[in-house]
Amino acid sequence: MADLSGSFDAGLAPTGAGPLSRLARVQYAALIAMRTRIFANNFRTSAGAFEFGARAISYFIYSLMGFGLGVGAGSVAFSLVSHNHLHSLFLEFWAICILWQAISIALASLQEHFDLGNLLRFPVNFGSFYLLHLLFGLVDASTLAGGLSCLGLLTGITLARPDLFGVTVLALLEFAAFNILLVRAILAWLDRWLAKRRSREIISAVFLLATVSAQLLNPVLREDQPFTHHHHAGGPRTGELRPWVNAVLTTQAWLPPGLASAVVGEADQHDSTAIAASLGILGIFVLGAGGLLGIRLRAEYRGENLGEAPSRSKNEKREAAWLIAGSGPISAEIEKELRTLFRSMPQLYAVFVPMVMVVIIGSLFRTGATAVAHPFRLAIPICVAYGLLGFTQLIYNNLGAEGKGIQLVFLFPVPVRTVILAKNLFHGALYIFVALVSGVLASLRIGRPDPDVIAATIGWLTFALPANLAAGNVISLTMAYRVNLGRIGRQSGSQANALLSMLIQTTILGIGVGVISLCNIFDRLWLAAPILLALAVVTVLAWLTVLRNVDAMANARRDTLIAKLVKTE
Amino acid sequence: MFCRAPTNLVILAQMDQAAIQTHGLARRFGDLTAVEDVTLTVTQGQFFGFLGPNGAGKSTTIKMLTGLLEPSAGTIEILGQPFSSTALHLKRQIGVVPEGMALLGRLTATEYLRFVGRMYGLDRATVERRTEELLEFMQLANERRKMVTDFSHGMQKKLALAAAVIHGPKVLFLDEPFEGVDAIAAGMLKTMLQGMIQHGATIFLTTHVLEIVERLCSHVAIIHQGRLVANGSIEALRAGVASTLPGAESGQRLTLEEIFLSIVGAGGGEPVQELSWLT
Repeated sequence: MADLSGSFDAGLAPTGAGPLSRLARVQYAALIAMRTRIFANNFRTSAGAFEFGARAISYFIYSLMGFGLGVGAGSVAFSLVSHNHLHSLFLEFWAICILWQAISIALASLQEHFDLGNLLRFPVNFGSFYLLHLLFGLVDASTLAGGLSCLGLLTGITLARPDLFGVTVLALLEFAAFNILLVRAILAWLDRWLAKRRSREIISAVFLLATVSAQLLNPVLREDQPFTHHHHAGGPRTGELRPWVNAVLTTQAWLPPGLASAVVGEADQHDSTAIAASLGILGIFVLGAGGLLGIRLRAEYRGENLGEAPSRSKNEKREAAWLIAGSGPISAEIEKELRTLFRSMPQLYAVFVPMVMVVIIGSLFRTGATAVAHPFRLAIPICVAYGLLGFTQLIYNNLGAEGKGIQLVFLFPVPVRTVILAKNLFHGALYIFVALVSGVLASLRIGRPDPDVIAATIGWLTFALPANLAAGNVISLTMAYRVNLGRIGRQSGSQANALLSMLIQTTILGIGVGVISLCNIFDRLWLAAPILLALAVVTVLAWLTVLRNVDAMANARRDTLIAKLVKTE
Repeated sequence: MFCRAPTNLVILAQMDQAAIQTHGLARRFGDLTAVEDVTLTVTQGQFFGFLGPNGAGKSTTIKMLTGLLEPSAGTIEILGQPFSSTALHLKRQIGVVPEGMALLGRLTATEYLRFVGRMYGLDRATVERRTEELLEFMQLANERRKMVTDFSHGMQKKLALAAAVIHGPKVLFLDEPFEGVDAIAAGMLKTMLQGMIQHGATIFLTTHVLEIVERLCSHVAIIHQGRLVANGSIEALRAGVASTLPGAESGQRLTLEEIFLSIVGAGGGEPVQELSWLT
């Protein structure tokens, strides 16, 4: 028998415990080399090169937005500090914090992430796993926007008061670290909760409760001077809310944005003890967010399976009835889409969360916080358009959720057109439902709109829906990417798809805004509906034309589509 | 008065007709030729084994035969009619377990089978009845409410096979159907497939488990580096290979594995290179 001693492990780097051990460094080098090769290999195909171009443009846009936010944050900070209103800085810190988290969650499903779960089969220690989780995807839209905002804040404060520079840097570093860790912890925990049926149901219940609560708060939030002529008097005055406001102000001072802003104020008063205390508490929050992320990553590192395993008793329950009657392929496809949507919380949230935001936006219009001094008639169509933002992925990547099932589309004895038509019918019905609910929610906040506003909104919807479906079908067939229905983050995303779909949606929105605004300016809002309906004829024809050519397009792109959607994650 | 011919006679009459026929089938991916000049005929009622080493072109051929991949050249006929991805009437006659299985993870087993049945145009009662029978037969009835994504690999294979036969196809394409399936289930599946053959169906099977092919298939074709290097009944291949092997003793019955290794060039007794760090 051959002597095996000393031969199996020859050439192996020694194992180490920490994220900076020799083995870990070798692994980092291997990962960098792997990512570099993937980057270079992108250019082997025109689609890959296009995707890279789209990504470059996206990041340029994100950078511009971040730069704009930075300039804005810097200007406001400069103004506040110059006028010695340091106590109001907390509002900026809160705005940046919320923006940081919101952007990340909103764009999570559109951005490409490398699933680090693939590394678990290698001898990667937990420290390295954690570090890599933080580093991968660090240059994303939220970090870019948040980071540049912090930089703007620092510049603004320093220009106004150079002596605050040092302390502000420390506060912002901790604040940025907290945000980076928190957003990753939120995404990791959301994925965990959404993967389990029970927790998913609890989150859904909380979500619904929040929506209903927002409506129940409606009378409380109302002011005495509603700006529409549909006047509903009643409700408490702002003064009655003062105890609540004070409580919120006191609480926020103990939370990271409040603490970070307090550090700057304390530096102004040369209170070293208070600075140290605030930085210390902020540090605890950073550790807390890191710990929250660590708990989740530790479970993942140990090989936790997020899959569902219903109990035997559940399995034996009677099977659910057919949701859609009829045995034809269209009803079959619609039923499949319906079931899939309601089992994919990321998609469900993408579609329904903007509706909750409509309530908040409606409140802004209601209280005049958007600097609209007079009755703003077009608030309802704006709210409805916002409520429909969540359809981007559903309509513009309508094959992405099929995954390996995309092969069925080409195996079934039905034209691809039938499958796409069924998807369009389902998405269209959902679109109309969301528009209707958004309109009703906005009306409850703002007041009943005028008939010509309702007509203009319906006109825009009639124009926008087929336009979105037509463009969505083309982009879905040409730039499909696989969607993991069980996760919010760590998707395979496509910047090309995201960029193009955003551009098209902006154009569709722009046309509506243009027509409605012009008619409104000339006090002929009643004219908007017929104009938009005339444009709708064009978009309906475009949709029908696309549908007629779907089979040719799908068959021409069949190999690429299957390769893209069946590919190993 | 019109008299119906006995079913067995109808089946026998069909046996001579080609269920699958290809001529000069080829597929190129840029500079790479994955499949080149594949010409073969599978007659109706035949259990046909399509063998080859990894990367030989088996899955590419199956994809072309089922409309998942456009051939670069050549023609395909299924049940005597020209086949292309748009030949929907022919797609109704074929069942496929493709590479990757084409399952929909967010549906339960029942929902998936219902969906597939409806897409093949079966009426509601038939879909319900067959779904029940298939779930029972595949021993998936207790897992009916589990989402497909939570199935084990073997369970997913069984479900994919159930979906492939729910509409009663005349031609069945199976790409590695037994991979990951336990011995009990594999035995049942073999019985089911043999039953289908007895009722006149044609099965086109690719697998690396040569014992299964030897037990089930009457004819085999071997593809190597994209080209068809052998095609015929197992007995004919055995006789052909035995006559070319200098060391083969007369009367020695070669196994399919020996035939395969001999044809694809790995059976010459050449020493296998050793891995330096494992010896």
